[in-house]
Amino acid sequence: MQIASLTFVMTVLPVLLCVDYLLPDRMQQGFLVLCGMLLYGWGNPVRILYPAAFLCYDYGTGLLLEKYRKNKILSAGILCVSVMLQITAMSWIRNTAQENLFFPFGIAIYTLQGLGYLIGIYRKHHSPAGNFLTLALYLLFFPALFAGGLFSYAEFAEQNQHKHLNIVSLSNGLSLFIRGLAEKVVLADTFGYIFRELRQIAPENMSMLTAWLTTVIFSMYLYFELLGYSEMARGLGKCLGYELPKNFSHPFFTSSMTAFMKSWNMTLVLWFETNFRKLLFRNCSQKGLGNLGFLLMWVLIGAWYGMKMPFILWGLLMGLLLLNEKIFLEKIIRQKYIAGVVYTAVISQFLWVLFFSGSLTEIFGYWKAMIGFGNGVLDRTGIYFLVSYLALILIGFYIATDLFRNIAERLAVSQFGQLMMSFMPLFHGILLVCCLAAMLYGEQNSRLWLWI
Amino acid sequence: MKKIKKEHKIAHCTAAILLIVWAAVMISTLKVLEFSALPHADAKSLSDGSFSEELEGYLKENLGFHDLLFQLKSRTDLMIGEKMIQGVYITEERLIEKQFLSGTGNAALINQFHQEFNIPVYLILVPSASEIYESSLPANALNDNQEKLIKDVYADTETGIRCVDAYHILSSLKDSYIYYRTDSHWTSCGAYYVYQSAIQKMGFAPVSYQKYVISHLSTEFRGDLYQKTLYDKIKPDVLDCYTCETGSHITGIHVRYPDGRMENHAELYDSSALETEDMYRFYLGEPCRTMRIHTDLDNGKKLLLYKDDYADCMIPFLLEHYSEIFIVNLEQTGDAFQDAANPAEYTQAMFLCSVKNWQEIFQ
Repeated sequence: MQIASLTFVMTVLPVLLCVDYLLPDRMQQGFLVLCGMLLYGWGNPVRILYPAAFLCYDYGTGLLLEKYRKNKILSAGILCVSVMLQITAMSWIRNTAQENLFFPFGIAIYTLQGLGYLIGIYRKHHSPAGNFLTLALYLLFFPALFAGGLFSYAEFAEQNQHKHLNIVSLSNGLSLFIRGLAEKVVLADTFGYIFRELRQIAPENMSMLTAWLTTVIFSMYLYFELLGYSEMARGLGKCLGYELPKNFSHPFFTSSMTAFMKSWNMTLVLWFETNFRKLLFRNCSQKGLGNLGFLLMWVLIGAWYGMKMPFILWGLLMGLLLLNEKIFLEKIIRQKYIAGVVYTAVISQFLWVLFFSGSLTEIFGYWKAMIGFGNGVLDRTGIYFLVSYLALILIGFYIATDLFRNIAERLAVSQFGQLMMSFMPLFHGILLVCCLAAMLYGEQNSRLWLWI
Repeated sequence: MKKIKKEHKIAHCTAAILLIVWAAVMISTLKVLEFSALPHADAKSLSDGSFSEELEGYLKENLGFHDLLFQLKSRTDLMIGEKMIQGVYITEERLIEKQFLSGTGNAALINQFHQEFNIPVYLILVPSASEIYESSLPANALNDNQEKLIKDVYADTETGIRCVDAYHILSSLKDSYIYYRTDSHWTSCGAYYVYQSAIQKMGFAPVSYQKYVISHLSTEFRGDLYQKTLYDKIKPDVLDCYTCETGSHITGIHVRYPDGRMENHAELYDSSALETEDMYRFYLGEPCRTMRIHTDLDNGKKLLLYKDDYADCMIPFLLEHYSEIFIVNLEQTGDAFQDAANPAEYTQAMFLCSVKNWQEIFQ
């Protein structure tokens, strides 16, 4: 089920929270697993089969890994087979998503969570789940369903033992959920709508302005879509007594690609760092081999976003850029802040083209238009979209950057800020009304194709 | 200690306010809830996902304070610079639906029809308000050129097919009340002027405008574009009915509906539509598949009319000249329109269609 839907917000969520808060502690775990299964299977109950099957598989494999820990070859073999199996199953089901009845939403994240669990056991970060239900809850944790970010099993199991629910965590969680919901349904859906309008224009008919607008709007759309789901997941997690990690921290307007990627989809990059690079390239003394591992990691991240050529190319280019910064540019970037910001902004916009283009000709078409060799510099379409949506872009830009943050922070500790804090409940009430309005307006069916 | 106390207070306040918002919306939703209208859950609808979609759709349409919330969103959008609501441009005078043209102008299907049956064929393509009132659209707004598409289609027709240039007739009359302000159709007045020109080409003298008695059926007509946008700052429309006392009279109507139902009517107009939101339905009733209308004229002329809903308000004018009109609804038949009637039985055939439906059906 879509978390950002009227069905969930108006009917499922209130019931779910009421029941969870009324149940005694020992029954909550089972109840949340049940909810996870219900939401995965919503719309089509057979969709639960895939996650359920791999849940059992991961549980069994985890125990096996622990049992044969001393036999290094055997345990490495078990892990290899598991990784191959899950990646193959995921690619198959994602590539046939259109006609595949068994396709559950959020499968890419589900697979990474499962693999992270197994790799964690192999690397002795944590012991296998003693309780089947705990693992089930970790893998089928419904707040993170669809695109809620990744979190490690060790932390989750720790929190699972010491969680307590109270009114403060409930209302803080709900506030965070509503902010995430607003980011998704008010901002991301509107940007998505504008993006689809712009996408109907062929790149060779685009002026420079229109091409830049297209990529800027797309980056905003992608950012708010992912951010919205992560914040909703964190909010719901908080309501239920879990602290999930932050996934984004104002990535736009940073001064280098390194800083950009450090604040963009952080949990995903961290996952690949710990479970891929540190696993395979930890002991590489040679610099060359280490760098190769780094590059390979970015190719994989690209492939995770989408199993298609442009995404893999995106990963490769991103890896090369980051390596370049690490080796050559580090000093220059640290000294020249403004130049760094411009460089990051321009390069990242060029790279987003890879995310939404279907073919190489299209990619080059957009790039050509972006450097001014398309259909002139300005055109009527570009001006119309700029004038119509300038305010929205500026609002999105403010939220997506950490510009002026220090003003806001200074305000928060002042007396005025304290006074403003008292209005936060009202603010969240109004925000909920805005979210409901945006949801019935009917743009939220824009499911990110990345997760198909 | 003080800080913790404050945190608790804020938490309680937040929970209370959110609960109030949720409860208010939920109670107002439940008030109008009809259990029969809820989507039906069974094995099939659960397994193909249609149940969850329908449930979401039901909630979207029937959520408490629906109109208020909708207007909140659309007005805010307009305030921060957007120029349209749900694909409809908001201008000072009227609501104008945005047009997307994907097809190219070719008339292959009509040419084929003409070759096969060899009866006189007349073609009228009607542009929508976004073409006629292009100058009042927001500056630089995206709007596809319908005039060019009409020109291309007309140029592609065979010599035997006579085309009526509705675009130029209508654009020269743009200061008259030829399109509804809140509906996507043309008015009876707009239809009359095009009829006047078309019927001359078809070999009749048009009934003059003075002979008609015009009665205002409703001065509070808010059409489909209003229903889509709920934007109420546009003046409501006037729905007119043109009657010619000295003209022909209908002797029988036989309707076949898309679900196979067949009915005989005595009246062309459906007055019950005036009580509903969709008042434009007054002219021809609910969408039919085919309709056969007999009049008391005895000239032996029979017209075969392939049409979309733009034609509904023109049919009363055409009835003054034919003893029988057989109507085929292109929106129901699609490009399989030829199977609906035997053209050889008719003296003339007419295709009357809006550009939007033309490109959907004939491209």
